[in-house]
Amino acid sequence: MGAFETVVLQSGSGSGSAEGAPLTDTIGGLLGFGSNMGPGETLVAAFIGAFFIGNLMLAMTGVAGPWAKRKITAAFTDRIAVNRVGPFGLLIIVADAVRLLSKELVVPDGVDRPAWDIAPILMAGSAMLGFAVIPMGNGIQLADPETGLVYVFAVSSLASLGLVTAGYASNNKYSLLGGLRSIAQNIAYEIPLVVTAASVVIFAGTLRLSEIVAAQTEPLITIVGVSIPSWYAFVNPFAFVLFMAANLAEVGRNPFDIPEAPTEIVAGYQTEYSSVYFVLMYLGEFLHIFLGGAIIATIFLGGPAGPVLPGIIWFIIKIWAVFLFTQWMRSAIPRVRIDQLIEIGWKGMLVLSFANLVLTAVIVGLIA
Amino acid sequence: MASPWIAIGALALVAIAIPLGMMVVSSLLRPTVEEQGKSATYESGEIPTGSTRIRFNIQYYMVALLFVIFDIETVLIFPWTVIYRSAVGSAGLVAALVPMLVFIGVLVIGLAWAWRNGAVRWVKSPRAEQRRQERQRQ
Repeated sequence: MGAFETVVLQSGSGSGSAEGAPLTDTIGGLLGFGSNMGPGETLVAAFIGAFFIGNLMLAMTGVAGPWAKRKITAAFTDRIAVNRVGPFGLLIIVADAVRLLSKELVVPDGVDRPAWDIAPILMAGSAMLGFAVIPMGNGIQLADPETGLVYVFAVSSLASLGLVTAGYASNNKYSLLGGLRSIAQNIAYEIPLVVTAASVVIFAGTLRLSEIVAAQTEPLITIVGVSIPSWYAFVNPFAFVLFMAANLAEVGRNPFDIPEAPTEIVAGYQTEYSSVYFVLMYLGEFLHIFLGGAIIATIFLGGPAGPVLPGIIWFIIKIWAVFLFTQWMRSAIPRVRIDQLIEIGWKGMLVLSFANLVLTAVIVGLIA
Repeated sequence: MASPWIAIGALALVAIAIPLGMMVVSSLLRPTVEEQGKSATYESGEIPTGSTRIRFNIQYYMVALLFVIFDIETVLIFPWTVIYRSAVGSAGLVAALVPMLVFIGVLVIGLAWAWRNGAVRWVKSPRAEQRRQERQRQ
């Protein structure tokens, strides 16, 4: 234990930012603000950093939503999908953005007006906010607060609020059902998700995401000259599987896509949304898949760590791998019913996640 | 060394500004055509009947109540997980582990109680149950 802790402490202090906002400091340095930035200079640097992070995620979602999702689903079902506009149909992204933004916004009768408008902003905004604390490699981490892991879970569950607002304010029975279902699903799988993450914190002993990443750099075992890093997916594969399953439910992809369930309740909470509001809800959904991928990459897959390529590239590869996994599940697994969903969540996942927490605590306590 | 929360606050503003910007761009681009019947809520193409503020399954409420309890529990577990390794080193395994086992044990007993009472079992409506039995008889 002694050796392990020293490594954690060294790498924590070695990165040079024990407390603070690495990206903001870097940008401040690039702008020549010096090491002691005033409040105004900090704000400018923070806004530039935030704008960069926001647009990076927006660009990835732009590629994923209108293009990659279609191509992946088509590959699973042996079709071709978009291939007319631009190379590999890539310009469909531009075409779709213009098409969707220029659609007429139909406001249905009797919607709860401010709430109906706020819900899409809440969904897209909350997912984007989560990326603030994710270490993406090469010093690209907007902020690094001491409570990073708790913050990211807190912010990502704000989306549930957007879902229920959308469902209730739409004045549509399908939307109401979809909103209720999504709440039942999100709260049932939120607890296994957080408790499984807590079992990782037992290993790392910190909630700061950069230190959780640093704790995973130590080699676990060396097989014929290749050293395998102690990523928590290797250290605790059971927790990794649990987290992946709970994450599928959190982002609402098969087998847990009953909030939308197109064959049962039209489109659930987003039935009455059109035009730019629909774009925002869709954007929020994909941002959430990427945020889930970013959390998985950070606490289970060593964050931006990887050979040869720079950290940011590895980070993007990892979150796209999780995105590919959700799309694979979407094509491969049938939807569960609501009663099965509640039983799997409360009777299966919850008990398993607590068993995982207690077992991890016992094992770590015995070997420490 | 900049405070992390300034950067997070900046991202919060950006995360609201981007959707608002998209809304503004869309409002400049899109047409608005007044048309009768367009704004009716979608109910599979039929004319909407009744209010949306309907009674819904009590089960949604039951799991929400249960969630509040377990969510508070997770909040209380996190500080323990952070100090656990060093606590085992300084105070020993039993002193670090047993209080949390008791705490989790109480909540697991609570879950078992809710389980036995049927709070996490999806209760089907009498009509759905009746139809299921009719199908089985056929």
